[in-house]
Amino acid sequence: MKRAAAHHAGREVQKRARKSTGGPGTDGAAAASALAARFHGIPLPGIKNEELGGSLIVVEGTDGSGRSTQISLLTEWLESEGFAVQTMGLRRSFLVAKDIDLLLEENAITRMTLTLMYATDFFDQLEHRILPALRSDFIVLADRYLYTLIARAAVRGIERGYLHGLYAMALRPDLTFWLDVSPEVAFEREFRKSHAISYWESGRDMSLSNDLFQSFIRYQTKVRKEFRGFSARHSFLEINGEATVPAVNKQLRKRIAAHLGIPRTRYTPSAALAHLWH
Amino acid sequence: MAIENMPSKETMRSAERAAARAERAPRRPRALGAVGGFAEARRKYPGALVVVEGIDGSGKSTQLYLLKRWLEIGGYRTHFTEWNSSPLVKSTTKRGKQRRLLTPTTFSLLHAADFADRCERQILPLLHGGYLVLADRYVYTAFARDVARGCSSVWLRNLYRFAPVPDITFYFRAPLDVAVDRIIAGRPRLKYYEAGMDLNLSLDRAESFRMFQARIQEQYDTMVETDNFIVMDGTLAVNRLQKQMRELVHERVDLTRFEPKRNEETPA
Repeated sequence: MKRAAAHHAGREVQKRARKSTGGPGTDGAAAASALAARFHGIPLPGIKNEELGGSLIVVEGTDGSGRSTQISLLTEWLESEGFAVQTMGLRRSFLVAKDIDLLLEENAITRMTLTLMYATDFFDQLEHRILPALRSDFIVLADRYLYTLIARAAVRGIERGYLHGLYAMALRPDLTFWLDVSPEVAFEREFRKSHAISYWESGRDMSLSNDLFQSFIRYQTKVRKEFRGFSARHSFLEINGEATVPAVNKQLRKRIAAHLGIPRTRYTPSAALAHLWH
Repeated sequence: MAIENMPSKETMRSAERAAARAERAPRRPRALGAVGGFAEARRKYPGALVVVEGIDGSGKSTQLYLLKRWLEIGGYRTHFTEWNSSPLVKSTTKRGKQRRLLTPTTFSLLHAADFADRCERQILPLLHGGYLVLADRYVYTAFARDVARGCSSVWLRNLYRFAPVPDITFYFRAPLDVAVDRIIAGRPRLKYYEAGMDLNLSLDRAESFRMFQARIQEQYDTMVETDNFIVMDGTLAVNRLQKQMRELVHERVDLTRFEPKRNEETPA
């Protein structure tokens, strides 16, 4: 009971903070601009601000940054604290996920088409998964968000202004964590995990190098540079992804607990997830 | 097939037309978006792009078909492309439509992905290769239809910024009743999205279709000035309208660029 009260108090603070900032360039708290502020500039057609409760928490980071591990652990922790959790990620929409998989297997796809297919996948999940979850007061944990999509397209030469415009109707996260790891560490972790490096994660379509390792490092360095650019602009919470799983998890829990008004942050994973904890 | 309107070399090379072309050329917009365009959209290429737009039943497809025949018979290097025809995303669009999964935003994005595929793999290479490209509907279809569905026009203008700007855009305008009757008479059943049923305008498909088309036409009308549409009267007789269209193409596009090369010429 106490916890629930604290949780609501935490949310109230947030809501007030959201009102007082009112978004970029607004002095009167006009409903329209407040709504636009919840999105990256343009509200989605047919959405009202009042109906959106819950919280959208994004975890960004390259493959090998420990992102998915942390999402699993956070889900368990939040559920043990009594919060309903919904997850999202790239290529998980009902509408186009399978089609994107097929397109990636062929080499026929061009960068613009792929960018727009990923955008379709993103907005389908936003409209059919994230928004319904937020309306029902869920905590949405996003395993990557539009920042990865913009970074990938930008390093392939698509204008940044165009990409930000494309995602202008995407919901602004309440918290965005960036698990930053060096490309070398990411390579090592990925290689250890799957004994191979993905074609796309090493940017092989970009002809950076015939050497797979070199190609991966160069590609990830470019993507990391894009992320550095976003970091200040979108108030990323940077976490050193090279630290141990429990250490990273502790930092995430601390920040999320403050956001949701959870009084204590102690957590040890259940037997089912214990293997992730080392 | 009447070919009496085929341009003769004399008329084509007349000084008047050349002067008119020279005067028009620098004013030709090269970017669709308000904030500049992609390199591709601005780049000079030897090809030309002729587009027809208008609501369903306005007669645009018939007219573009006749224009295409005129050019084909004359042996010009030409290519015809349609809105929503790329095999790449066809299955997705079909599934999304059948199961009614599409929102205004995803509907718009899927069509943009489809167009991007056609643009990058077909339209742009052909324009760079010196073809006269004929497009049955173009990005203005998205601007009109998706705004009518509730999408932000600022967002849409940005979305299609990579598209090359047409040399000519013919806008076929027919009174709503005429256009709607042509469609309803020829089709046993209007499809869900085609009739704009997702907008909840009316439970009656024919009525919903009519209201949706009215909204789209309204959007097209706002683009006449901003996007240099040539308004064509869709109620005129087919052959009269085609004559006007051929004259306008002849006047505004240097067709000599697309003439068959000597060694490729087919015997008359």
